[in-house]
Amino acid sequence: MAFINYSSREIQLKIVYYGAALCGKTTNLVTLHKQITHAQKGELVSLATDADRTLFFDFLSLNTKTLPGFTTRFQLYTVPGQAIYNTTRQLVLKGVDGIIFCVDSHWEKMADNVESFANLQENLIENHLSLVQIPYVLQYNKRDIPNAAPVNYLEFTFNNRANRTLAFEAVASTGSGVLETLNAAARLLLAKYSKTPNANVTGLAQPNAAVTVPPPAEESQVAPGSAAA
Amino acid sequence: MLTAEDQMAIEQRLGDFLAKSEAQWSALVDKGGNLFAQKGETGALDLSILSALAAGSFAATHELAKRLGESEFSALYHEGHGQHILMSALHHECLLVTIFGEKTNIGLVRFYSQQVTVSLNELLHIAREKEAAAGPLLLDGDFMNDTAAIT
Repeated sequence: MAFINYSSREIQLKIVYYGAALCGKTTNLVTLHKQITHAQKGELVSLATDADRTLFFDFLSLNTKTLPGFTTRFQLYTVPGQAIYNTTRQLVLKGVDGIIFCVDSHWEKMADNVESFANLQENLIENHLSLVQIPYVLQYNKRDIPNAAPVNYLEFTFNNRANRTLAFEAVASTGSGVLETLNAAARLLLAKYSKTPNANVTGLAQPNAAVTVPPPAEESQVAPGSAAA
Repeated sequence: MLTAEDQMAIEQRLGDFLAKSEAQWSALVDKGGNLFAQKGETGALDLSILSALAAGSFAATHELAKRLGESEFSALYHEGHGQHILMSALHHECLLVTIFGEKTNIGLVRFYSQQVTVSLNELLHIAREKEAAAGPLLLDGDFMNDTAAIT
């Protein structure tokens, strides 16, 4: 839950990158750490094995001035994707404000992606939360692989609810779509504190209602770094 | 949610605790890794990282406790060569994290941390009641435009 400190005029928000093993969660944070130049960023901390597999979490703190009169501190976490670390994932989700769910576009990873999405919902329930309460965005990662699953298929599989959320194509290793995904999640979170009523503030993001940076490409339902149409 | 008064009161308790225990730094952190208030000296340490790691460490220990049939390990102590960390559970999903060095010892720090824990719990309880009674924070702007982007 967001922590508001009126004394230091600071809001702290926790965003968790969730997804199956090797889908690119840590790569998102590594890329963000390189890409972000204006926001005040902390050191990227990885609690990983010798083989660079996330053991507990990765952590990156960003201080921004996106709210007038307040410093907004985004605390970005990843979870370990491997099935055996489910308890750890539950722990990292404690106090979460927003979620970025990374989907691996490899065909052969679809079952893992689906399992991870179901696991996310179970673990939110363990933390007395649900995707109805928590703003989340989808990131279809690894769009550069030759045999990537079509976006329509991914949309049907992961974004086929009454209220569809924002989805972004990305190639986290090159940086494509990474900042756009984070900004969408950040804005949905900040919109909770807006005086202006917004359909996205308490529940799922609705397509076409929020982030449009850059505008969706005409030939694709979900363009790199853009909101789902 | 912490008001300026809450913050001052908590920092005062932490300051008293540091003076009595001769510890180096102490902080109120929630179990999600948010830093609420802190007092003392840590040099160039990144306090966000410190808070996140402390909360993660305590969470892992809490899970171990559950599996051993304990409701919670109320305190966790990490001993180093020159610096040590004591973490104590507070109410309302919070932790007291204390770093101390060779000027003092674990017995003294633990003794005074148990005292300050009681008064911090009272302050947290009051802050939570105020939070429940207060309206939500609402700000101008819809944050959906490019000017609000993280770059």
